[in-house]
Amino acid sequence: MDVLNGLLHGFSVALQPANLFWCFVGCFLGTVVGILPGLGPAATIALLLPLTFKMDPAGGIIMLAGIYYGAKYGGSTTSILLNIPGESSSVVTCIDGHAMAKNGRAGPALGIAAIASFIAGSVGILLLTLMAPPVAAFALQFSSPEYFALMCLGLALVVLLSGPSLIKGLLSLLLGLWLTSIGTDLFSAQARFIFGQSELLGGMDFVVVAIGVFAIAEVLASIDAGDKARMLPVPKGLRNLLPSWEELKACRFAFINGSLTGFVIGILPGAGAAISSFIAYGIEKAFSKHPEKFGQGVPEGVAAPEGANNADSGGALVPLLTLGIPGGGTTAIMLSALVLWGVRPGPLLMTESPDVFWGLVASMYIGNVVLLILNLPLVPLFAQILRTPVHILFPIILGISLVGAYGVSGRLFDVALLVGFGLLGYIMVKLRYPTAPLILGFVLGDAMERALRQSLTMSQGDLTILVRGWISATMLICAVLILLLPLMGRFNKARVQAIAEGG
Amino acid sequence: MIGSWTPGLAALALVIAAVPAQAQQFKPTRTIEFVVHGGPGSGNDVFARQLSTIIDQEKLSPVRVQVVNKPGGGSTSASNYMASKKNDPHVIACFTNIWLIDPLVQQAAVNRLQDMSPIARLVVEPALVVVLADSPYKTLGQFIDAAKASPGKLRWSGGSIMSRENTVRQLLMQKTGARWQFISFPSGGERLAALLGGHVEMMIVDPSEAGEQIRAGKFRAIAQVSARRLPGFPDIPTIQEAGFDIPDVPQMRGVVGAAGMSDATVAFYEDMFLKASQTPLWKKFVEESQLDGEFVRAKDLKPFLNSFEATLRDILKDAGVKVVR
Repeated sequence: MDVLNGLLHGFSVALQPANLFWCFVGCFLGTVVGILPGLGPAATIALLLPLTFKMDPAGGIIMLAGIYYGAKYGGSTTSILLNIPGESSSVVTCIDGHAMAKNGRAGPALGIAAIASFIAGSVGILLLTLMAPPVAAFALQFSSPEYFALMCLGLALVVLLSGPSLIKGLLSLLLGLWLTSIGTDLFSAQARFIFGQSELLGGMDFVVVAIGVFAIAEVLASIDAGDKARMLPVPKGLRNLLPSWEELKACRFAFINGSLTGFVIGILPGAGAAISSFIAYGIEKAFSKHPEKFGQGVPEGVAAPEGANNADSGGALVPLLTLGIPGGGTTAIMLSALVLWGVRPGPLLMTESPDVFWGLVASMYIGNVVLLILNLPLVPLFAQILRTPVHILFPIILGISLVGAYGVSGRLFDVALLVGFGLLGYIMVKLRYPTAPLILGFVLGDAMERALRQSLTMSQGDLTILVRGWISATMLICAVLILLLPLMGRFNKARVQAIAEGG
Repeated sequence: MIGSWTPGLAALALVIAAVPAQAQQFKPTRTIEFVVHGGPGSGNDVFARQLSTIIDQEKLSPVRVQVVNKPGGGSTSASNYMASKKNDPHVIACFTNIWLIDPLVQQAAVNRLQDMSPIARLVVEPALVVVLADSPYKTLGQFIDAAKASPGKLRWSGGSIMSRENTVRQLLMQKTGARWQFISFPSGGERLAALLGGHVEMMIVDPSEAGEQIRAGKFRAIAQVSARRLPGFPDIPTIQEAGFDIPDVPQMRGVVGAAGMSDATVAFYEDMFLKASQTPLWKKFVEESQLDGEFVRAKDLKPFLNSFEATLRDILKDAGVKVVR
């Protein structure tokens, strides 16, 4: 009953006209920020922070949270249409989302992204409402060995992402793992692979690498294809712009998968939305009846990661609001915003500032509806972008990509890096190397290395720490099983063939 | 404005060259760039924006003070930018300890803080040594005795090996001969979670973060990393008071100008920030963030930076970090 009372109180706060207005403003800004690559929710919130000093804390956090989860809605738009990941969490959406757009299903892909975001976002908030404190206690059980196992599980998914050639997939992954090690090592403070460039001391930004190997490479490859490069088909008529019933039905499992995977990984302070979307995609493909179609534009391949990165927002707020632990850059700024308004974030927030806690939770239910209403009508409009002739569209993609890379930290060095990664991606496409494993390695490698070294420091070099806990042991076993899966398939095929020949 | 500025500056430079600098008054003629080494929302960024808001509201500067973010490579992107603005009297930056440390350990970080124009140290951030509330260690001494009894078993969570958490650990280990592990986590949230989950035994954390956990009965503070006791924690001894005579390791924030600033220009900025630090708004910010707001002037700052750099160099060497300068 406490929850129900709290929620009712929350709605009474969130439905005040001023707070409704801030919720809308936050969601709208979030959508815009999500669409623009390079400008992330963290930077936007930081820039708007001084404007919120005079606001009521409840209204302020409602607006900032709107920017946070709204950005994840918007992130899918450029991924699907232009193969430009707007945020790190929407990289996976590029794979099947853009493939759908190439098949003339841009509208449905956008629609599915919005619907998956709505469903999973709402489930995430529902779980946040109902079980925040126990779930937070679970998150604290995750120590470095568990994080290591989670990252192994993520890397095992490369097998599923790699396409026809496993070897090429693994090589691409290794390249990603190496790229992520560039920069200053946290443990020893030594610079690795910086080649005398002080700009590389901080490592490379994920957005720069991803935009390079996805968007720029795509444009180069299309130009290279010469006269075959033509406008992407956009069928006329509203019916073709919205997902069909069959497509929605195909996504049933993806909606649930995205919701749960996103939420569970979201509550872990050491993981991120990008990881949750990768893992949801991997699970989706592992359990699919037609895994071979993934990458060619299946709706589940959009629904699972998009759902996951939105459910992740609800999950990430669990440790923030119940324990005062921020899980990532954006939530860390929301934490400092709370402090600046005089609210004390921590274990006592829920009881001492119910207006803020329950007002925020309730506003997120409203915000998700606002986002759906805001985004669905935009789908037909955005889909028209693809009607632009290539000689106009390609420069636009290049322009957005360059500005996005520059926007990451305002350095021309990043723009040069982007061009370099564009060329790398182009070469990989030409030689038929999959680029998704590279990105996966880049995202997970850093966290995985850290978790391993933390674990071994804790145990003074004893490797058994990695399998001592049941959580980490289970995840490592799953990872091994996933790795063995294709071998079993091959073995099975050979066996069947042998039997057939013998018989 | 722009047109009159260039010849004006040239004239100013001539005059400065001709007569003793202190005779001249410096007056900024265009927007002052306030460089920050973190991205928007980082601790330093929030700090600098607070300062620039106060300077703006109290009209302490005739021109706007604009925060410019130069994130990347610790402090190196920002210090490279400062080096590119040598002799420009309109570029200042907000520095922290990392500006001293990066050039010590990174071959590629070539711009030393002392070679720029240090203006003032504004605050020192104290910290608390905390354990879980149900931990057996009631004092720092008990923790260190336990660490002596089983070397290498106990663990602290912290940031990079160059951080203050590790510096304090190194100093304590040297002093006492005890040994325990330091587990690096990149974000403050992960460090907190590691202690809350019982995966490490202790951490050093800033009082505003720890305060709530202590109030909620999750953490217990056993010592302070501070020259003097914080008003909010009058009963907790400092590390030195607890009987461990190690040098003070201040986590500082201050302002530095681009290299080649005249004394008059430094004096102008010093005066501006001194006035800002005396405003009620600033005092409220310092109090709420539980900072130590002792203002250190330019003439005292430079010798301090030199001696502090020497201390840090020794500590880093002892910690096994390769020191390049």
